[in-house]
Amino acid sequence: MTDPLLSIRDLRTVFHTDEGLVRAVDGVSFDVDRGETVCLVGESGSGKTVTGESITRLVRTPPGEIAGGQIVFDGVDLTTLPDGELRDLRGDRIAHVFQNPQGALNPVYTVGWQIVEAIQLHEDVDRETARHRAIDLLDRVGIPEATRRFDDYPHEFSGGMKQRVSLAMALATNPDLLIADEPTTALDVTIQNQILSLLGEIQAEFDMSVLLITHDLGVVAEVADRVVVMYAGKVMERGGVFDVFERPSHPYTRALLDCLPGRGTGARSIGGTLPSPIDPPDGCRFHPRCGDAVDACSEGEQPPYCPADDDDDHVVSCVHYEPGGDPSVVRGDGATVDGGRRDDSEGDRA
Amino acid sequence: MAGDRDTFESVDWTETRSRLSTLSRRDWGALLTGLALVAAFVYDYVVLPASRPTITVPVEWNVTQLDWLFVSTLLALLLYVVVPLYGNRRLTAYYWREFRKNRMAVASLVYLVVVFCIGVVGPLVLEQPALALDRAYQPPVYLSVDSTVPVNCLGGVVDGRCQGTMAHPLGTTGDGKDILVLVVYGMQVSMKVGLISTLLVVTIGTTVGTVAAYGGGLVDELLMRYVDIQLVFPAFFLYLLLTYLFGGSLFMFILIFGLTGWGSIARLVRSEALQRAEEEYITAARSAGAGTLYVIRRHLVPNVSNSVITAATLLIPGFILFEASLSFLSLGDPTVPSWGQVIATGRSDLSTAWWISTFPGVFLFTTILAFNFMGDALRDALDPRQET
Repeated sequence: MTDPLLSIRDLRTVFHTDEGLVRAVDGVSFDVDRGETVCLVGESGSGKTVTGESITRLVRTPPGEIAGGQIVFDGVDLTTLPDGELRDLRGDRIAHVFQNPQGALNPVYTVGWQIVEAIQLHEDVDRETARHRAIDLLDRVGIPEATRRFDDYPHEFSGGMKQRVSLAMALATNPDLLIADEPTTALDVTIQNQILSLLGEIQAEFDMSVLLITHDLGVVAEVADRVVVMYAGKVMERGGVFDVFERPSHPYTRALLDCLPGRGTGARSIGGTLPSPIDPPDGCRFHPRCGDAVDACSEGEQPPYCPADDDDDHVVSCVHYEPGGDPSVVRGDGATVDGGRRDDSEGDRA
Repeated sequence: MAGDRDTFESVDWTETRSRLSTLSRRDWGALLTGLALVAAFVYDYVVLPASRPTITVPVEWNVTQLDWLFVSTLLALLLYVVVPLYGNRRLTAYYWREFRKNRMAVASLVYLVVVFCIGVVGPLVLEQPALALDRAYQPPVYLSVDSTVPVNCLGGVVDGRCQGTMAHPLGTTGDGKDILVLVVYGMQVSMKVGLISTLLVVTIGTTVGTVAAYGGGLVDELLMRYVDIQLVFPAFFLYLLLTYLFGGSLFMFILIFGLTGWGSIARLVRSEALQRAEEEYITAARSAGAGTLYVIRRHLVPNVSNSVITAATLLIPGFILFEASLSFLSLGDPTVPSWGQVIATGRSDLSTAWWISTFPGVFLFTTILAFNFMGDALRDALDPRQET
């Protein structure tokens, strides 16, 4: 097997605030292979966006700081790369699409100008060539009458159209990796679907890898090859999309899936709130809200990653999967999802 | 991460591929024009003797230091206000529709354009009024004054009253200078004071404000604390001191107040830019590989320009009024006939020759009023958030 395109090892990103050190991302590791789609899921505040922005060091310093870890992109460690070289990489080989299409386009320039800008920032092409390519791109992402709309301003586009334009900007230099930070969250469901299928088509066409950051498990099921589940700055579970959806192993993943309406017992919410990122709980970050928590969960560090099943790629950070633990505590007695709650599993191992 | 920041020297500039320049084509144009102006200035200053006029065709004009500054200001206005407005006709039409809703503002704009044009061209064509005691205290045309007031009545005496003549439509001062010509000269002085100082203030203020907001951290802290110090610095006393040492000069007035007056604009721009810097298009630009200066110049500055323009329009009358009051107190430039100075000379004759102070006063008043009206309308058109 070849090296992955992007390999993140033990990434730590912190923010220096007046209240103290916020550990937004605290030891995250995962890989993105060439041509595949990896989804980063988790609730708001779990550190997904910061992870995405840390990759190309978009996190504003100060107050942010990448405190440790490695981000290896195509054999180069981005954390030690000088700013100038990193800037050459940004937009050229690693492109971003952001959540809010209303905000991602500069209101004082025409959309055409902004795509031309994205092209000219990295390639020495004259205006006319850049203009033609920009029109082609607009056309490719499904903007009708691209030539006419080239000179329109962002406020003259709808939300879905703007997101298409953002996508065109990201594709301008044919990147190897597209980091899409909740690209569909601000859009309604039908547009969401259009954008996702467009993303899929483009990915195949341009042979890109996509790191999709989302909190929408429906989106994950639709587009992901692999899933990374994050909670409070830590990876709880990661694996192939089928493994994770068929055999959700971490109690948090199971709870997340339970939140989806129409899965067995109906929608259920996770009680409690995210722990404070300034003073996270000892042991497993999720244990205060976990139905399967035992004493061992609240001691030491986040448990190491253990295989969840036969597949090496599917790992989970939970004491029940450690050697000597009993995964069936979490999984119930098999593959059925009933999300063991506190009431029926409290006394099991305590 | 802090340790491996690139310095200007450490970047191999030949290695970086051709990328969009921080400066737009218009910036380059402005830069080249500016350099040409500087070259012309140096030629005028070093090569030509001071007494020789710089140009003789179409009019004889010995360009002074202040004139050079004024010409640069006008070119800057042309390149950064007129050309973009022309290049972006659709948006200009929109702004015009909004602006037109305020009739007083439209009238003000027309008035100011007229004052500006007369002020720029007039002094090139008209002789500077000279002392002529034989024609002192002439009343304005169609009006008359007791024949004992003027020494020598040019318009003829009817019923013991001296009539005004078309030779001096607004009358003359106590030393026989034509008030209309003085007013025209005053227009140029006011335009120079208002426009040059404001341009200085706006340029420096915007640069400092955006750099502070986007740079953040230590840069922000240093720049804004400097602004704090500058805001308490008594520029007025510096001006008084220099006036005492070297004599009053308009050039010095503009430089001192232009170079020390940008603190509040810098604060305004910073607060606006702080908001803008958090917008996603700034992150998007960075994620596309844009450098710091590029982001500031091409993404941040255009987005704060509306509030800057609005604030600038309201700064201009402030400078004009300030210059007028200093001139009135004889702290201004004695060689240039500014409105404040003419008002001051007519002060002692108010009971007999009321027109000397009145006409420059009326022009001063209407000009300032017009700038204020225009500023209000511009604010409504460009910056709808502040609408009340």
